[in-house]
Amino acid sequence: MDVNFTTADLTFQKEVRNFFQNEYPMDIREKQEKGIYLKKDDHIRFQKALYDKGWAGINWPVEYGGTGWSATQKYIFFSESGEAKAPRIVPFGLSMVAPVIFSYGNDEQKQRFLPDILASNIWWCQGYSEPNSGSDLASLKTKAIKDGDDYIISGTKTWTTLGQYADWIFCLVRTDDSGRKQEGISFILIDMKTPGVSITPIITIDGTHEVNEVHFDAVRIPAKNLIGEEGKGWTYAKVLLTHERTGIARVGESRARLNALKELLDNPSNDVHNLSQNTIFMTRLLEVEIELKALEYTELRVLSAISTGKAPGPKSSILKIRGTEIIQTLDELFLEIGGIHSLPYLPDQYCDASDFEAIGPSFAAKTTATYYNNRKVSIYGGTNEIQKNIIAKQVLGL
Amino acid sequence: MKILVPVKRVVDFNVKVRVKADGTGVDIDNVKMSMNPFDEIAVEEAIRLKEAGSADEVIVVSVGVQQCQETLRTALAMGADRAILVKTDALVEPLAVAKILAKIAEEEGTNLVILGKQSIDDDCNQTGQMLAALIGRPQGTFASEVVVEDDKVTVIREVDGGLETISMSLPAIVTADLRLNEPRYASLPNIMKAKRKPLSEKMAEDYGVDLKPRHKIIAISEPVTREAGIKVADVTELVAKLKSVGAI
Amino acid sequence: MDFSLSDLQQMMQDSVSKFIQKDYDFETRQSLVNSDLGYSEDNWKLFSDLGWLGLPINAEYGGIGGNLIDTIFLQEELGKGLVVEPIFSTLMLGANLVQKHGSSEQKTTMLEDVISGKLKLALAHAEGPAAFDITQISTTARKEGDKYILNGHKSVVIGGASADKILICARTSGKVGDENGISIFIINPDQQGTSTRAYTTNDGMRAADIKFNQVILDATSLLGEADTAFNAVDQVLHEAIVALSAEAIGIMGVLIDKTAEYLRTRQQFGNAIGRFQVLQHRMADMFMETEQAKSMLYFAAIEMAENKTNAKRAAKMLKVKIGSATRFVGQQAVQLHGGMGVSDELDIGHYFKRLTSINTLLGSKDYHLNELIKIPAIRQ
Ligand SMILES: Cc1cc2nc3c(=O)[nH]c(=O)nc-3n(C[C@H](O)[C@H](O)[C@H](O)COP(=O)(O)OP(=O)(O)OC[C@H]3O[C@@H](n4cnc5c(N)ncnc54)[C@H](O)[C@@H]3O)c2cc1C
Ligand SMILES: Cc1cc2nc3c(=O)[nH]c(=O)nc-3n(C[C@H](O)[C@H](O)[C@H](O)COP(=O)(O)OP(=O)(O)OC[C@H]3O[C@@H](n4cnc5c(N)ncnc54)[C@H](O)[C@@H]3O)c2cc1C
Repeated sequence: MDVNFTTADLTFQKEVRNFFQNEYPMDIREKQEKGIYLKKDDHIRFQKALYDKGWAGINWPVEYGGTGWSATQKYIFFSESGEAKAPRIVPFGLSMVAPVIFSYGNDEQKQRFLPDILASNIWWCQGYSEPNSGSDLASLKTKAIKDGDDYIISGTKTWTTLGQYADWIFCLVRTDDSGRKQEGISFILIDMKTPGVSITPIITIDGTHEVNEVHFDAVRIPAKNLIGEEGKGWTYAKVLLTHERTGIARVGESRARLNALKELLDNPSNDVHNLSQNTIFMTRLLEVEIELKALEYTELRVLSAISTGKAPGPKSSILKIRGTEIIQTLDELFLEIGGIHSLPYLPDQYCDASDFEAIGPSFAAKTTATYYNNRKVSIYGGTNEIQKNIIAKQVLGL
Repeated sequence: MKILVPVKRVVDFNVKVRVKADGTGVDIDNVKMSMNPFDEIAVEEAIRLKEAGSADEVIVVSVGVQQCQETLRTALAMGADRAILVKTDALVEPLAVAKILAKIAEEEGTNLVILGKQSIDDDCNQTGQMLAALIGRPQGTFASEVVVEDDKVTVIREVDGGLETISMSLPAIVTADLRLNEPRYASLPNIMKAKRKPLSEKMAEDYGVDLKPRHKIIAISEPVTREAGIKVADVTELVAKLKSVGAI
Repeated sequence: MDFSLSDLQQMMQDSVSKFIQKDYDFETRQSLVNSDLGYSEDNWKLFSDLGWLGLPINAEYGGIGGNLIDTIFLQEELGKGLVVEPIFSTLMLGANLVQKHGSSEQKTTMLEDVISGKLKLALAHAEGPAAFDITQISTTARKEGDKYILNGHKSVVIGGASADKILICARTSGKVGDENGISIFIINPDQQGTSTRAYTTNDGMRAADIKFNQVILDATSLLGEADTAFNAVDQVLHEAIVALSAEAIGIMGVLIDKTAEYLRTRQQFGNAIGRFQVLQHRMADMFMETEQAKSMLYFAAIEMAENKTNAKRAAKMLKVKIGSATRFVGQQAVQLHGGMGVSDELDIGHYFKRLTSINTLLGSKDYHLNELIKIPAIRQ
């Protein structure tokens, strides 16, 4: 048992730290520090900076331009990125669709799609959920009917994150409804500009436009956009989900937020309600710190299992559940330190880079928006109830 | 002129009732009870007639358990002048109620009785009609407008596909439909005043009428449960869906 | 022992509830939230006609003379409709303080105008370091001759933008932490030297930050006597906890009904999701939290209404219980609705948002727990 980094790891850590401090566009860094929402272009520029550095394909094999990092290196990268308050990598292209393409796609598909994904030239979104198929994803009904060399797609996808920016959407569609519901699902790539694709915004409780409904009205898609075999889409999506858990605990980011919170407490002009003297609050803060430390080690144990060649398996559900619980607890603590100044609704302050006179300490306005917005983390990517079902069934055999 | 308004205490229209396990009725334990909505309309109409100078007194009456008192207080808070509670713990059918009402109308010498067209619990739509028959006076059912002039009352009735205007000589019976008026909210000062308005209590037996039920309830069942809805994007999708389920 | 409602309470509840059902559905409420004013003047007039604005005001000033217990039933029903009209700020804070601390002439004129709907009030008590404890305020009113010079900054004055008159807590003598030396000034929002920044709050209500820069006030601007307002304000704020908590109880009741209904109809895995026992238990927990919170509401309302020795302690205990109940019930109602819970289109998220504010207003759960540790109960 050894959790110390090797000299090589430490050198790597330095390099990563330096990148996040100096090597990506400073205006984006500044927005992150000030807590201003990033625009589409900011995300792309950040990811292109990673690409230029050769760090875009974190989970990609080297042959497709991936980093080929060890589990430890990935861990270091995400820790540093979190602590530096760097933007999160928008996952849909680089870490969701790409692995499916390089694992199950044919050569033509790999050549056609992977380079643009790696360079963040194309924005992807994820079309899994439907109005009547959320937790029960396998019941999805969006139909793909073979017609000559094409598929005709009809149906509605929903909760599509940042679909309004997307050039392409990867979808799970039903190609067969005769057998088990999981068996008739296929994985297909759709150009959002195809006639018959339309999108309507869904506004969330924090007042932002982050998710959408995407409608397919008899959309004609070339059959060559289907990945792998027809009817195997469910398997691909699931394999991807269990293997794609690096960073899901968001430990680095939560640690950074915990530290930010402590800094606020150290400064009386931010800690206006004098919470540093409040036993109840300080107890809650300590508890989340302890939980976070435990989660860090749980994540390390999962990662070490992967690096010794074992699949992470259903245990990685712990990372999702506890990771999101910690995020949401931190949200509550921020709300507390925002106090009455968390009440005004001042979206201009965090939606726009323009100078804006804050009410109370400048961090306060965003605390509520973040608290509201992050209610999603225990819902998306498989709700925490579903994650617990997975642990009960697949780990505990219940 | 005196107006009599019978008001029934029923399960609040917002409550989703559940059928008792033995199927003999609906479970009303711990369920919110309110005035029958059509009776609120009737009370409102009576008060408006009084406010317009067409009537001198509005008397409300309820037949049923002690708690019907609350229903009567609500009517008093809306503006009725006095109330009569006719107490009985027995199940009263429209005929029994109509018989009691006939006695009271006679005793009080009321010129106009305004009832709800039906009550939302039993949906009988009978009480007004039976009362008219028992006292041998004209009836204007499903009223959407009521005008009193001298010894005549003109009622616009909601009939299938249109309106019918009838004129009746008083005394008469009117049953209120939904569109007759928008009942007012009871104001706090009127609620306070209602506490001091007279409410007399009688026993159903005092009227010496036969209250025995004429019906036997065989079974009560829940309606089929509604299926989960779906969201459609636009009219085209809606039409397609309706076609696919054979609705159009 | 009798927890049943009086005729007044019952009928008022029915009347408010009917108003919400008929004239205040969620779409109507949202259109008010998005309107310039943020509420409806027609509704305000109606509230006056219905006597609601006179509920907590003594009969000698033309009010109904209801006590704190009566007001909780009004507040509970208003909560169910997420009503945005400034009843809480005008009645529970403003008028209540006038009634407790005003001179008899101020009471007569101001309270009458409140009842008739002509006068909307706001109480500017909070400042960053003094969200609840007004001994901590740093706004000052210095006496110069027969004038007072007001300086300071009041934060998140609820209803501050729509109020016709604002009651300002300021220090006229003593130092931070003293109970003595707190005074209340009545000012017009357009008073020279006053700048108001109005905004919508995160729950769709309205509030304002108000700054005073050398505002010159006549001694007639004083509400009641100088230097002696602490007890009245402190009492009003503790009573306001009870009223605000009642609103939360109304909201939680709605969330439980609506979530249970959703669980009965939403189908996943070939079943209504309400068939999953983990969700049944979650709902049972939400229900129990709400019932426990309601019991604390009744406890604190009775203690406060009867002015018992530990009444303020009871109000703080209530705020703690409301803090945990609102958080749990609000969050779980969202969670059990899945994605729909976080969509702005559905009312669920808006009830959740109001509950979030209620925990923050008038001292959070953490604040009051910490206070409760410091202030032991007085044994009798
Ligand atoms: C902000 C946001 C962004 C999203 N982004 C995307 C995206 O980009 N692409 C995409 O495809 N999807 C996305 N989703 C959808 C997300 O994956 C679904 O919301 C999620 O799977 C839950 O489905 P649902 O909303 O239909 O809730 P439901 O499945 O209806 O669940 C409702 C409640 O029932 C519970 N429940 C359901 N089944 C069970 C069970 N068997 N046992 C116990 N409890 C159960 C759930 O936990 C939940 O509490 C996003 C969602 C949100 C909120
Ligand atoms: C298919 C259909 C659908 C309808 N849907 C609705 C609806 O959705 N909503 C709605 O409000 N209305 C509806 N109606 C109309 C509603 O049913 C009429 O109001 C009702 O049929 C007549 O009511 P009444 O009180 O005038 O009947 P009455 O005049 O009291 O007559 C009742 C019965 O008495 C007997 N009777 C009366 N006169 C005579 C006579 N001269 N000779 C012999 N027997 C007689 C008959 O048996 C008659 O059916 C519908 C009618 C039909 C046929």
